[in-house]
Amino acid sequence: MLSGSDRPPAVWVDDLWVSFRVTREKNQTLKGTLARMRDHSKQAMLIEALRGVSFQVPAGSVYGVIGRNGAGKSTMLRTIAGILPPTAGRVAVWGRVTPLLSLGVGFNRELTGRENILLGGLTAGLTAAEVYANFDAVEEFAGLGDAIDFPMRTYSSGMFGRLAFSVAAHLKPEILLIDEALAAGDAAFKLKSMGKIVELCKHQECTVLIVSHGLEVVRALAERCVWLDRGVVRDEGPADEVVSAYMAEENIEETSATALEDV
Amino acid sequence: MAATQPYRIPTIYESTATGLPPLRSYFVELWGRRRFIWHLSRSDLKAEHYDSAIGQLWVILDPLLLAAVYFLLRTVVRPAGSGPARNAIIAHLVWAVFVFTFVSNSMMAGARSLLNGRNLIMNASFPRAALPIVAIVKAVFDFLPTLVVYFAFHLVLGQPFGTSLVVIPVIVVILAVMSLGLGLLFAPLMVFYRDTGGFLPYVTKIWLYVTPALYFVREIPPKLLVYLRWNPLYPSYAALEQIFNAHMPSPAYLLAASAWAVGFFLVGALVFLARERDFAVRL
Repeated sequence: MLSGSDRPPAVWVDDLWVSFRVTREKNQTLKGTLARMRDHSKQAMLIEALRGVSFQVPAGSVYGVIGRNGAGKSTMLRTIAGILPPTAGRVAVWGRVTPLLSLGVGFNRELTGRENILLGGLTAGLTAAEVYANFDAVEEFAGLGDAIDFPMRTYSSGMFGRLAFSVAAHLKPEILLIDEALAAGDAAFKLKSMGKIVELCKHQECTVLIVSHGLEVVRALAERCVWLDRGVVRDEGPADEVVSAYMAEENIEETSATALEDV
Repeated sequence: MAATQPYRIPTIYESTATGLPPLRSYFVELWGRRRFIWHLSRSDLKAEHYDSAIGQLWVILDPLLLAAVYFLLRTVVRPAGSGPARNAIIAHLVWAVFVFTFVSNSMMAGARSLLNGRNLIMNASFPRAALPIVAIVKAVFDFLPTLVVYFAFHLVLGQPFGTSLVVIPVIVVILAVMSLGLGLLFAPLMVFYRDTGGFLPYVTKIWLYVTPALYFVREIPPKLLVYLRWNPLYPSYAALEQIFNAHMPSPAYLLAASAWAVGFFLVGALVFLARERDFAVRL
C-alpha cells in the first residue's frame, strides 16, 4: 500500500546466504595450520551471517535496516557493495553502489583534506572529472574552513567524518549504503546530513540503504525497513510498523533517549 | 533515473563457485581504475616522504650503503686490483644493488599490499589487483632517482657510454612485470598465512647471492653456471651487464628474461584472481 513494491527495485536480494569460517587465532599462520593438522582439533567455526535473506529496495527510496548487534546488517551491506561474496543466492543492483561503511575509506591522514576529496572520490569509483565537477560543493558542505588545506592527521574525528560524508553524498551516488557512519558528527551536522539524504532521494536520483541503531532516525527517514534477526528476515514492510514491532520486542520505550543517539 | 531503471542491466553478485572472475570485464574494470591506481601511488609516495627530508634521500642512500658494504666484502675476498678494474667493480656493484633493491622492494611491497590495504578491501569495491599494481608503481618511482645517481657513478668511474643504454627501459619493464607477478603470487599467500612474510627477506638474500650482482657473469665457474642460469634474474642481469659495458644485449637474454617475466605474471595473476573474492573474508 505504501507504493513500495510497484516501483522498480534498485537492489534485489534473493535468498542470500553468506557464511564464513572464523579461526580462533587472530591471524591465521602456516605454523598454526601445521600444528592443527597434527592434533586434529577443531579451531575453525562456521559463522552463518545471513541465512536466506530476501527483500527488494524500491528505487529512489530510503530503506532502513535494523536489528541487534550480530544480526548480519553489516555483512548484508558489504555483500550488496560487492565486497563479500555470497555463499548462495544472489544480489542484483541497478546502478553504482557507493558504500559508506566506514569513515573516510581511502583517505590518507598525511594528505590535506582537499587532496583526500579526490582520493576518496576515486576510491569510490568515480572518474577524476566527476570529482572535480563537485569539488566546491563537497568542500562547502563539509564546512571545514581553512582546515581543508591541513593534513587530515590534524583533524578531530568529527571533522574527519564530515568530510567523509560530504564526499560520499556529493559525488552523485546512485545507491548509497550508510552503516552508522554518521555517528561522529555533532548534532548540527547530523541534521544537515539527514536533510541531504532526503534531498538525494527526492527526485529518485538516489537510493539509500541505512543501517542504524537510531530507531527514530530510521522511522523519520525510511519508507520501508527490514528487521534482521540472527541472519534471517524477521519482518519487512513500512518503516513505521517494523520499527514499532522491533521496539516492542526489544522493550524499548518509544521516548527512550537511545532513539536519536546515533544516526 | 527511475524511469530508465528497469531497462538498465543490473550488476549481479552470485556465489563464488567458479574460481576465476570473467577476465574480460575484470580487466576492463581494472583499466577504468587507472586514475585511482595512479593517484593512490602518488599520494602514498607523497605521504611516505612527507615528514622526513631524508625520506627521499634514504631511497638512494640505503642501496648505496649496501653497495659499499658489498664492495668491502668483495675486496676482502679478492683484492680489486688496478684502478680500471676496481672502477668497473664499483660501477657494477652500484647498478646491480640498485636494480636488486628495486626488484626485492617491489616484490615485498606487492606481497604486503593486501594486508596493508585491509581498510580499503573491507570498505570499498574495486579489482583487488589494483593494490599490488600500486605497490609496483611506487617501487618504480623510488627506483628512477637511483638510476640517475648510478649514471653519476658511471660517468665519474669512466665507464663506457653507448647506444645500448637506450635498452635499459626495456629491462626495467621486464623486471617490473616479473616483480608484479611475484607480488600477485605472494600477496594471497600472506593473507591466508600471515607468517609467510617472515621468510621473504631470507629468500631475497639468497636470491641476491645466486644472481650475478656481487660478481660478474664471466666470473661464474662453468660448473655453477649450469645451475645459476636458471635463476629468473640471471638473463636480465647478464643483459644489463652487456648494456652498461656499451654492448647491445644478446637477444637470447632478452627473450629469456621476458619469458620469465610473462611466466611469473601469468601464474601470479591466475593465483591472485582465483583467490581474490576470499580476501575480504580472510582479512
